[in-house]
Amino acid sequence: MSVGASNPEYVNARVRSRRASLFADEDYRKLIRMGPSEIARFMEETEYEREINALGARFSGVDLIEYALNQNLAKHFHDLLDWSNGRLYDLISRYLRKFDVWNLKTIIRGIYTDTDPDAIRTDLIQAGELEEATLDRVLEVDTIEDAIEVLNRTIYYDPLSEAYEEFEETGALVPLENALDREFYEHLLEDISRGSGDEPQEGPEAKYVEFLQAEIDFRNARNALRLARSGADLDPASYYIEGGVLFDQSELSRLVGNYDELVDHIGENKRYGDRLSGAMDRLRDADSLIQFEHALDAALLEYADTLSSIYPASVSAVLSYILAKEREVENIRAIARGREVGLSESEIEEELVIL
Amino acid sequence: MIDQAPELAEVALQAEEVAGPTLENSGAAAIAVGLAALAAGYAERGIGAAAVGAIAEDDDMFVPGLIMTVLPETLVILALVVVFIV
Repeated sequence: MSVGASNPEYVNARVRSRRASLFADEDYRKLIRMGPSEIARFMEETEYEREINALGARFSGVDLIEYALNQNLAKHFHDLLDWSNGRLYDLISRYLRKFDVWNLKTIIRGIYTDTDPDAIRTDLIQAGELEEATLDRVLEVDTIEDAIEVLNRTIYYDPLSEAYEEFEETGALVPLENALDREFYEHLLEDISRGSGDEPQEGPEAKYVEFLQAEIDFRNARNALRLARSGADLDPASYYIEGGVLFDQSELSRLVGNYDELVDHIGENKRYGDRLSGAMDRLRDADSLIQFEHALDAALLEYADTLSSIYPASVSAVLSYILAKEREVENIRAIARGREVGLSESEIEEELVIL
Repeated sequence: MIDQAPELAEVALQAEEVAGPTLENSGAAAIAVGLAALAAGYAERGIGAAAVGAIAEDDDMFVPGLIMTVLPETLVILALVVVFIV
């Protein structure tokens, strides 16, 4: 918890200016026709100039683009934390913890596969709350147990130590990763909402809660659809994240068994039904989940945009920027990777999340 | 000191006779202007913060930012009218 007054006006002004310098849809259309080195050239003339120049000597091609994207993302999100004070800082930092979770997962996987720390380091996105020094220390250890020990005094220590026992029994990383994810999502709503039915009813915080619930719901829906589609014999309850309004745990376990019912359940929900109707139609007749997942991403982004125009001077605009920036990074990466393996233009276009 | 006591008492009595309202018109006007200035300051707080943010991202925003920041100053100017009409 940080002290001081919240400064949404300042952060909003800066965020909106940066939002305006994101790539537009026409830029993507241009990028789709370029090769990796052309994309790097194009990026050099935009936002990403500094990162491309700094990394240009060490990497080339798609790797250069990918690392430049990650560094730029980290820089921008770190700035957000730098600017904000008070309550706003709390709200932003708990959302950006998703990068901490991502980093820790990457490190744990790296340790598990005995990867060289330097190779792991290039894949980290230093945008979260954990300090670089802490991450460095986690990188240096050799076993997962030691890594968890280094994290003592962070919020991840308790869930990880609990999950570690299960990991020792099964030897699979899944319990550790689930523990991290669950910790992240459960902290998102803490001290704003005291359980369902008791959320703030109006004002910016109510919208913040609504947005996060949407994110949790979409995450649950995505997991459920993947489970239902793959027919894997896994316990859906262990993937369930609390805090959403779309499913409760027993409903989810029941619906995973029946794919059609699951799709209907999502479509009939009154909060998301209309917004997702286009995506739902596509899901019913298409057989690719990727399309649907992209539609979910786009819906979430659109949702965040609406929220940011309802309460201009609140955390919503920052959230919508974070989502938009992530989308940009993912799109450019998809284009670069797609060109590298020689996908056709229309195939790449399907991989992009465009509003 | 004691010799002057009757005169002092007389002055005090006289003062009581002429005591008017606690706040004269001009005093009330002064408070009105002060409150308006306070409100303008509060409004400028948010705008100023946003303007500095915008200028930090883009130097060209300096002039628009400055204009936007001083707009609530009109509150004080309008409140000053009160001073002239009382």
